[in-house]
Amino acid sequence: MPTINWNDRELEYDSSRFVKGTGHFVDDIKIQGMLFMTVLRSPYARARIISLKGGISSKDLGAKIASVGEGASEGEASSVEPIFASGFVNYVGQPVAAVFAEDRYKSEDLLDSVEVDYEPLKPVVTIDEALSSPPIHKGMKSNILSEAVKGQDFSDPSSPIVLEDTLENNRISTNPIEPRGLVASFEGGVLNVWASTQAVHSVKNGLAETLGLSKDKVRVMQADTGGAFGSKGGIYPEYAIASFASMKYGKPVKWIETRREHLTSTNPGRGVRGKMKIFSEKNGKITGMKGEIMVDAGAYGSGSGGFSVPFIESMMTGAYAIEKAFVTGKALLTNKVPQGPYRGAGRPEASFFIERMLDLLADEMKMDPADVRLLNMSDKPFNSPLGMKIDAARPFFETAVRELEYRREAKLAKGVGLSFFVLVPGTYTGESARMIVKDGKIGVWLGGNSHGQGHETFIRKLINEELDVSKELVTVYRGDTSVTKDGEGAWGSRSAILIGAAIVAICKKLRTEVEKEFGSYSSESLLSRDHDEYVFDEKPFSLTSFGANLATVEIGRFGNVRVKKCNAYYDVGRALNREMVLGQIHGGMAQGIGQTLHEGLFYSEDGQLITSSISDAGVPLAEDLPNFGVKIAENRSSLPHGAKGLGEAPTIGVPTALIRAVEKASGKRLRKTPVMPEDLIE
Amino acid sequence: MHPSSFEYFAPTKMKEALELLSKYGEEAKIMAGGQSLIPLLKLRIAAYSYIIDISRVEGLNKIRETGDFLEIGALTTVNELEENELVKEKYRILHEAAVQIADPLVRNRGTVGGNISHGDPSNDLPAVAIATKAKLEIVGKKGKRLVDADSFITDSFTTSLEEGEILGKILLPIPKVSSGGCYIKQKKSAGDFSVAAVAVNLVLAEDETIKSAGIGLTSVAPKPTRANKAERYIEGKKIYDSVAREAARIIVSEAEPSTDFYGSADYKRKVLGRIAEEAINLAFERGLVR
Repeated sequence: MPTINWNDRELEYDSSRFVKGTGHFVDDIKIQGMLFMTVLRSPYARARIISLKGGISSKDLGAKIASVGEGASEGEASSVEPIFASGFVNYVGQPVAAVFAEDRYKSEDLLDSVEVDYEPLKPVVTIDEALSSPPIHKGMKSNILSEAVKGQDFSDPSSPIVLEDTLENNRISTNPIEPRGLVASFEGGVLNVWASTQAVHSVKNGLAETLGLSKDKVRVMQADTGGAFGSKGGIYPEYAIASFASMKYGKPVKWIETRREHLTSTNPGRGVRGKMKIFSEKNGKITGMKGEIMVDAGAYGSGSGGFSVPFIESMMTGAYAIEKAFVTGKALLTNKVPQGPYRGAGRPEASFFIERMLDLLADEMKMDPADVRLLNMSDKPFNSPLGMKIDAARPFFETAVRELEYRREAKLAKGVGLSFFVLVPGTYTGESARMIVKDGKIGVWLGGNSHGQGHETFIRKLINEELDVSKELVTVYRGDTSVTKDGEGAWGSRSAILIGAAIVAICKKLRTEVEKEFGSYSSESLLSRDHDEYVFDEKPFSLTSFGANLATVEIGRFGNVRVKKCNAYYDVGRALNREMVLGQIHGGMAQGIGQTLHEGLFYSEDGQLITSSISDAGVPLAEDLPNFGVKIAENRSSLPHGAKGLGEAPTIGVPTALIRAVEKASGKRLRKTPVMPEDLIE
Repeated sequence: MHPSSFEYFAPTKMKEALELLSKYGEEAKIMAGGQSLIPLLKLRIAAYSYIIDISRVEGLNKIRETGDFLEIGALTTVNELEENELVKEKYRILHEAAVQIADPLVRNRGTVGGNISHGDPSNDLPAVAIATKAKLEIVGKKGKRLVDADSFITDSFTTSLEEGEILGKILLPIPKVSSGGCYIKQKKSAGDFSVAAVAVNLVLAEDETIKSAGIGLTSVAPKPTRANKAERYIEGKKIYDSVAREAARIIVSEAEPSTDFYGSADYKRKVLGRIAEEAINLAFERGLVR
């Protein structure tokens, strides 16, 4: 173990340290002799590398990145991202070489010592260009990374109403307040890595596989992680480079991403287009849906582009009882940074496509959008033709309409939007937890790692409920692969469900052990002995839940939208902690508003990123947000602790309600996010 | 990112600053508040071997009326303009522009001289200087010279400062009785640069016709621009809705906006037309108040 300036006490989760400014993030790690890494990145979206001199590059490390973590997907071999660009560069920001020095200034100075000659090539920037251009990778027949189909094809019925539209969610940066970063230190034959991450095991497995190391020779520890939103679930080229360099130089290596690097080189989310066709009876009852989706996967399959297609497809009937549905989809390679998960990760896209069509149908029928939705819901559980199992939607929606006071709002204002969705949490493959009872205290380690959600709060609560141990005696530690044998990660609205279930399972085991030894259970008896329990709790089923949003807006004379109301009614299962639930919803609603009205990554025709600052990328500001109105339904799940998923609900439900509100206020049909002011004025 | 290395000087006398500037020539850069320069250095878009920080130079941060002019030292921070009672009361066009620049953090450090001499077509104060027909006092080794605001910024991020010169003062004509001015800016979000902005300064004759008009435009051309034709069109006229509308139409025809992240050229023209009409009406109304 290298010497670092943390003591064990500081490795605990205790959220008050964030308020006090005493958190310990990757960049706070300082080790004697540590090198700082700077990455030389491609200035071109597509070019041939004619010559390259200096730094470490593909000639030193020729491996390709292993795809692990949330939404990991595999494509053809030629679409797998090399750690360093080799022969060609395929997106602006792609790592070409790396340089190292004892501090950041000197390390950045060394960028000038690397000489690269490029022969720029015409890049493939858009989905349409990807479809019509020769493949960007040699050895592939086209720019199709992957294809998937869901449902059974059917011949178009002779329906009285057939509506078609093409809808799109632009790419969006995840933009956590802390960008990516890690420290790698190879000592005594073991690669130690401290990372800002959602998933220590994904980073470990990815590094071991990429660098050809045995898994027991890689240890990954989580530093405090200042947000992630999907972008820190797996590994990236930089992680492998820093690790490789720590082995090569025999020194610890730190890499901290700049904001500009984050915008060019961290997997962004969304970037999906859907062509929708719905068939309806005269009364507005939808009888069939056909869809075709295109995912802008970026230059390599290392992101989640390939995974996105079938996942989005499976949710494209939304909460509605549509009997016939058939969706085809492609993930397409473009000369842009690989696409990845962003809060919702396919769920908001699927919901956007179907909800926009429900609103279109309402307009076509001159019906209220709530009534069209009601007409298309089942009052019994429904198995969709695309493979989604949902509970009875109608009773929840009827309550939601009342709780959100939608009918009243719709009479009062012109710009009102209502949305409804099913949240499908990512429960695959389960999650791990370890609990050690020693010296009268309990320590907890998790396979899925908090990146700002505050897991420690609900874990302490559950342990208190199950084992009657006071919260002060329970310490939740940051993720560490040497403590938990296995683990997935904190993503996909899963943590309260899976970590909660794992904790409850361990508590039950401990209780039984204590009862066996002492005849009956007491916390004193528990704490008087040492215990060490580990579970990997597998949940083969998915716990879906419903949610609805209401938004109202006014539009200024320059097309600037003022969000007046942004309200939610979500089924969160049992709320393990009400304040934390509200915090999650507020943050997610801000991001939903961001996606709808402000945020996007835009590229020029030659594939250069136009939105290269956090301001240009459109992260919403305080003045862009209204006071949120949140109501929660607590319909307990079948799990012992009653939890359901939550994290991604607002980024699914807000964009669809808000864009409808803007559509009503402007009188213009809106098909893509973000909505620009100029879309709204004459 | 972090800037490449440079040698840093912080002279307290203008003479010293000028000496350093002439000694290091093109390898040196003058820094005042650093609000534009530091980001460029950090992103390594710009690199200089010598940074001459003039923020401690004495005598360049005063705001006072002398003779026919309001004299503003180039090192006056935007926040000092914002807080200055004389500016608040008598120079509304300047005050309105100042309070809309970026955010309080930037305004606390950013200077009037920097805002103008950076030559950014999106910076707000050049349009105000153009509309008010201000003069700029430039200091060099050979002495001082005065230039019109119009001829100071020659292109995007390019000024008529010669080697070894520093912008010293901004001289705004003291408003005549029966004059009115305003600055209207439309931006996407708080703290951002503008989609378009207009500075209008009108001097009214006894009969309420426009004796002299000054119109400066921000963000709608490669450099801050004077709307010459529109000025000539309204001079000699009283402002009615139809006159303001026609003037706005002329202003739009004089602008050369480009399509970028802030919107398409077409959208910028629409925004400019609306704010220009509003600005002319508002400046006229203010001029009527005696």
